[in-house]
Amino acid sequence: MSLPGHVIEYLQDAFAAETRPFCFLIDEHGSLVATWGDPAWCGLQDFAPGTNMLEATPYIVGILDDEPHKLNFVTTGAGVIVHLRTIPHESQHYVVLLDAGEQHDFLQQKQQSSNELRLLHRGQQRLIARQRDLISDLVEAKAELDHLRREAERSSASKSQFIAMMSHEFRTPLASIVNYADLALEDGVSDNQIHKSIEAIGRSGRHLTSLVEALLDDARLEGGHIELREKFFDLYDLLDDLAAMMAPLAAEKALSYATLVDADVPRRVRADEVRLRQILINLLGNAIKFTEEGSIRLLVTYHDGRLAAAIIDTGPGISAEDQDKVFRAFERGSQSGRAGAGLGLTITMRLAHLMGGDISLDSSPGRGCTVSVHVPVSTAPTADSRQDPALPTPDEDVCATRPTSILILDDDEDMLALIEHYLHRAGYGLIVSSSGSEAISKAVAYKPDLVILDVNIPGINGIDVALNLRRQGFDKPIVALTASTLSAAEQASFTRYFQKPAKMPALLAEVKRLTHDD
Amino acid sequence: MTLITSKVCVVGDFAVGKTSVVERFVNNQFSEKYLTTIGVKVDTKEIDLPLRHVTQKLIIWDVAGSDHFGDSEISYLRGSAGFIFVVDGTRPQTLKTARSLRRQIEAKYDRRPSVMLANKKDLTNAWEISADQIESLADDYDAVYRTSAKTGDDIETALIRLADLIVGRELHE
Repeated sequence: MSLPGHVIEYLQDAFAAETRPFCFLIDEHGSLVATWGDPAWCGLQDFAPGTNMLEATPYIVGILDDEPHKLNFVTTGAGVIVHLRTIPHESQHYVVLLDAGEQHDFLQQKQQSSNELRLLHRGQQRLIARQRDLISDLVEAKAELDHLRREAERSSASKSQFIAMMSHEFRTPLASIVNYADLALEDGVSDNQIHKSIEAIGRSGRHLTSLVEALLDDARLEGGHIELREKFFDLYDLLDDLAAMMAPLAAEKALSYATLVDADVPRRVRADEVRLRQILINLLGNAIKFTEEGSIRLLVTYHDGRLAAAIIDTGPGISAEDQDKVFRAFERGSQSGRAGAGLGLTITMRLAHLMGGDISLDSSPGRGCTVSVHVPVSTAPTADSRQDPALPTPDEDVCATRPTSILILDDDEDMLALIEHYLHRAGYGLIVSSSGSEAISKAVAYKPDLVILDVNIPGINGIDVALNLRRQGFDKPIVALTASTLSAAEQASFTRYFQKPAKMPALLAEVKRLTHDD
Repeated sequence: MTLITSKVCVVGDFAVGKTSVVERFVNNQFSEKYLTTIGVKVDTKEIDLPLRHVTQKLIIWDVAGSDHFGDSEISYLRGSAGFIFVVDGTRPQTLKTARSLRRQIEAKYDRRPSVMLANKKDLTNAWEISADQIESLADDYDAVYRTSAKTGDDIETALIRLADLIVGRELHE
C-alpha cells in the first residue's frame, strides 16, 4: 500500500506523538552505540556510548537474535509499560521502546473484569456443588432415618402382633383346660366324661408346651445358645419316620404324600439328627397345613457333601411380597389367619443356618410352593444297601390279624399309592389295578377278600366293575372310594361307600370290620 | 563469585498467584488484592549460590495468566533458561492448564529446568489437589513444591532450586 507522502508524514508524526519512541543501538556485546528520542518517559537516562544495556534494560536479555521481535505490554523494572521491538542490523541490534501505558490500562480493566467474573463463576459452581452434596447427604440421612423408623414401627407392630397373637394362642388352650377341669369336678359327671375331659386337658397342655418350646427355641437360636450335637445316624430311618408321621396327616386332608430319595443319598450321615428332623417336620407340617388338595412330596438328594431336601406342595403358593415375610418371626404373610405362633419358619431357617446350611423358597400364587433346605453332612462308608424301609405298625384296631388280600382300583397314581401305603402298613396283601377291565380280571383270578373301587375312571367305571363282579358271583365286600356323589341306586352296588377325602383311620377300621367280622 | 544472568519465565493459568510469587520472592511482599497481569512483567533478583561460587541474576518474566499461549505470548518465552509453573491448589483445573502449557513450551523450545509450585497452601480448607496428584507431577518437573505466596512458604526454596538447576546446566554445558 502506498500513501501520499504528506499522509505518511502525518501518520508518522501522530504515531511518534502517541508512543514517544525511544530507540537505541547496541553492538554484539550489548554495549550502547547510539540513542534516539527521549529516554526519560521510560525510566531510563541518557546513557553514554559503551554502557552495558543488558544490565540497564535486562528485559532484552535472551531475545536478541537474527529475527526482529515484537513484544507487547512489557512492564519494566521501573514500572513503565512498553511495546518492545528488536531489529537486528548486521551484528548490531536496534531496540525500540514504545509507550503502551494507555492501552495497557484499558486492556487490564477489561481483563480484570473478565477474570473476576470467571473466579466468581467458579466460586458459584463450588457453592452449588457443595449445596448438591449437602442435599444428597440430607436425602441419604432422611432415607436412613425413614428406614430406621419403618424398622422401629415394624418391630413395634410385630411385638404388638406377637402379644395379641400369643395371648390368643395361650388363652384358647388355657380356657379349654379350665373349662374341662371345671366340668370334671361337677357333680354327677360320668367316668366317660371325666376321661374325655382329662384327655382334652392333656391335649391343651401339650399344645401349650409346644408353644412354649417354640418360643424358647426361637429365643435360644436368636441368642446363639443352641449347640449342635452331631452324630452318625440312619438317614433313611429318619425319612421313614417322617413318612409315618406325615402321611396320615396328609391323608386326613386327602393329600397324597411321597418321599423320593435319590440313589446317591448316603444311608449313614453325620449331622445333628434332632435339628434336621425338626427342620423337616416344620417344613412338611407347613406344607400339609397350607395345602388343601393335591400332594406333598419330599425330594431328597445329595451332592458334594451337602444334603438337599425339597418339600414340594400343590398348595396356594406364596406371593413374592409374602416370601420376604414368611421367614421373619411372628409374620405369616397372607396366611396370618392360620393357627400357630408364626415361628416355625423362623426357627427352621435359623436352625439351617446354625447347621451351616440355607433355605430357599420358590413359589408363586397358584403354583404351589417348593422349599429347599441344604445342609452339609459327613458320610460314613457303609456296606449297607438301601432296603425297603420298615413301616411302623399302626393301631391294632385297624391292622389285619389274618392273611387278607385287597384289590384296589384307582386311576390316580398318587391316590393309589396313598391307599396302598396305609393298607400295606396295616398288614394287608394288596392287588392294585388302574383300569376297570384289569380290576375285573384280577378279582376273578385272585379272589381278594375285599375290593376298593374308584368310580369315576376312564373305560369301565367303578359301578360297572362292581355290577360285573356281582354278576360273576363275586360275593366279597366291594367298597366305593370316590370323589363323586353317588345316588342311592348307585350306592346299592357297593357294600360300603366312602367319599373322598376320606378319613384314613375310618376307612381302615371299616376295611377291618368288613374283612374280619365273621 | 561469578555472575551469571539468566532469564526465567513464570507461567500458569490466571489468578494462580504468579505475580504474588514473584512479588514475594523479589520484594518479600504480598497483597491480597488481585490485579490481572497484561503482557509480561519483568523483575530481577540476584541470588548467591555459595556452593557453586556463583551469583545468579534472575531476570524473571511474569507472563500473563492463560490456559493457552498465543503467538505473542509464546514469544515472551524466547531465551528463557528455566520455567516456574504455578498452579492453584484450590483449583484442580489449573493443574491441567500447567500440563497443557508445558507441552506447548516443549514443542517450541528445548526442555529447560523447571519447578512446579502448587500455590495457596495457606487455603487448607479449600485445597482440592491430592497428595497423589502432586506426587504424580514428579516425573514432569525437576522439583515440586507446595507453596504459599501469602506466608512465603517454600517460595525462596523453590526459586533457589531452579537457579541452582540452571547454573548446574550452564556449567555443565
